[in-house]
Amino acid sequence: MIAAVKLAAAILVVLLGLGLRRLLGGYPTTSRSYRHLRRREIALLRATTDAMFPARGAVPVSGADVDAPGYVDAWFDVLHPLRRFQIRLLLLFFEQVTLFFWAPGPRGWRRFSALSLQQRIEVLRGWYSSHWFARRLVFTALRSVLGIAYLGDPATMRFLRVAPYDFASPVLDADVLYPPIGQGPDEIVYGPEDRGSPADGVPIDLDGPIHPDYAERPL
Amino acid sequence: MSVPLVDPAELLAMRGRLRVFAQYDRDVRESADVVVVGSGPAGSVVAYELAAAGRDVILLEEGPPFTPSEFTLEGGLSMARTMRESGLRTTTGSIMPTMQAICLGGGSLVNSAICVRPPAFVFDAWSEMFELEHTTRAELETHFDAVGEFLGIAPTPEDVLGKRNTLFRDGCDALGISSEPIARNVRGCKGTGECFTGCRNRAKQSMDISYIPEALRLGTRVFTSVQVQHILSEGTRVRGVEGQVVEPFTGKRSYKLHFDAQLVVLAAGCMATPVLLQKSGNLANRSDQVGRNLQFHPGVAVAGVFPEPIDVQFGATQGYQSLEFLDRGFKLESLWAPPAVMAVRTPGFGHELLQHFSAIPRTAAWDAICSTHRSLGTVRARRGATLDPALRWHLHPDDAPLLREALHTLARLFFAAGAERILPGVARLAPVMHSADEARVLLTEAVQGRDLVTGGNHVFSTTRMHGRADEGVVDEIGRCHDLDNLYIADTGIFPRCPSVNPMYTAMALARRQAHAIADRL
Repeated sequence: MIAAVKLAAAILVVLLGLGLRRLLGGYPTTSRSYRHLRRREIALLRATTDAMFPARGAVPVSGADVDAPGYVDAWFDVLHPLRRFQIRLLLLFFEQVTLFFWAPGPRGWRRFSALSLQQRIEVLRGWYSSHWFARRLVFTALRSVLGIAYLGDPATMRFLRVAPYDFASPVLDADVLYPPIGQGPDEIVYGPEDRGSPADGVPIDLDGPIHPDYAERPL
Repeated sequence: MSVPLVDPAELLAMRGRLRVFAQYDRDVRESADVVVVGSGPAGSVVAYELAAAGRDVILLEEGPPFTPSEFTLEGGLSMARTMRESGLRTTTGSIMPTMQAICLGGGSLVNSAICVRPPAFVFDAWSEMFELEHTTRAELETHFDAVGEFLGIAPTPEDVLGKRNTLFRDGCDALGISSEPIARNVRGCKGTGECFTGCRNRAKQSMDISYIPEALRLGTRVFTSVQVQHILSEGTRVRGVEGQVVEPFTGKRSYKLHFDAQLVVLAAGCMATPVLLQKSGNLANRSDQVGRNLQFHPGVAVAGVFPEPIDVQFGATQGYQSLEFLDRGFKLESLWAPPAVMAVRTPGFGHELLQHFSAIPRTAAWDAICSTHRSLGTVRARRGATLDPALRWHLHPDDAPLLREALHTLARLFFAAGAERILPGVARLAPVMHSADEARVLLTEAVQGRDLVTGGNHVFSTTRMHGRADEGVVDEIGRCHDLDNLYIADTGIFPRCPSVNPMYTAMALARRQAHAIADRL
């Protein structure tokens, strides 16, 4: 009896160890630091953007070119805590999704980020085209997160000709009243003397300069 | 009407009447004739009109003021900063995203400035079904006119329509459907298409640059970063409100605030006002209608790809509309939003998805908002100190044909305007359709409610007005049936959805309410 209990305990410990290893072990270190993201989340984001937005596609900017972890980390800065938790759960779920739906091909039970590119594409395809509404919904949620990171990237926006234009904002009464968020009235940028003409209604110049945050930077 | 520059000394005095997060260093106790909770279109109009009538007003807002340097031009981050729950709020039941702004000026900062007066038949139905004798189009006309003049509401000028909007017109013309440029609260639009992330051009007359500065000038005190948590009441009267200071974005709470008032106006929005009432001891709910009757205008959208680039970045965000089908239950509009936001509706993944993205420079999106009167839901308070609601809503099966008809009409419009293909965004159907014939499937029962990607950003009726106290929360001027001095001004008082974009109606009703309050104080 005691031997059986010991055996069961040993099996439990081994399973726990394997589970922890699958959950946490073997993720590469990153050269840059992130405020919110953990290594497993960074790996998952890279692995999914890579498969979702492949190289040599109709848009020359691939998922690998886009800093999806950087975007999501910045997003987490301002994300509602409950929603941040839900996004984290989504990322964790997708990383471990092969526990429930194995990827085709060899060792299809590995974590999503450890699969080959072709296997990752097949997993995504399975969720995208599933007959189960819940699976399609999970896929749509993941694609939405990745999509905003991809389409929010300056290079993508420039290629798609949707990068914002650069122009000066008129200074109104309101701009003399409101300080930058988090700061007091002493930090208000404009004084009454800075006020000028209101918006003039002249259409934006479509050949005009792109906003500096989205303009191509010299190498 | 051009707004003259305010005298510099007066401007600095106005600055002193505004409190922002960084200025709170202790608990606050203040009093006024009227406290208005919420600085969106309805709350701002009430605050301004009461101040103009000489009343001492305090206006409370949970979000911070934004200026152009703080607008985030990219859609995802912008929504996370300006929307409650980071713009990721959804209903349960029939799952549908819905948004509520959290910033000075409320939704007016990040909406597309559409101002439409509902046709008379909408008010006729309200009057008849909800015993609202004086809520007719004719009786509200003076209030619509006054708000329209204050905000410079006018049809979108031709030179800033851009091709996205003129193609919509072309499609309507080709099908013999009436259409018109959308009237907006905008002065001096450049056509940058940035309404949803905040107008950098300061052309959109959102509340933070229109009604609120004028209210400040007239003596209103404005407290931002204030979350109202409790309405103080005694018998059939309210005494004021209590709340806490909240840090922008993190929502961390700190100092306590207490505002005494002779009268309180709730304009926290259709999804927050019922929560506030529920958290204040189920206030004003003898009718059992608080938080019930939740209605939306579910929106469906179709994207159409044209043979040539259409300068999608240029043009009024929503510049053209058709009211042709209002009596059937839907309104058609042109639409633009940051691609990151629109991408949710784009089908596919991998190379297929990139193929669709690559066509963005040639793609327009048009939408229909639908009057789904049978589809109802509830708003319930969640645990903890939050006004974020638990929303439950179901698309009624009898409303599904309306959405299908709207989708099919949008598809027809695109092909009539010369689109080479459309992306209907309906699950289980072909992701791309190439002809009006092919699009006929959109009318059939092959399209079920859950296959549609809908969005519901017009929200109504959770504290509805009704002539009878046992059927509604407020009376015709927005006064709670159960409480003598508690009013509600947001779209929660609409007895049912108004068939058109609700901001203008909310402001007209708010102006009428403010005048009634001023008369009794």
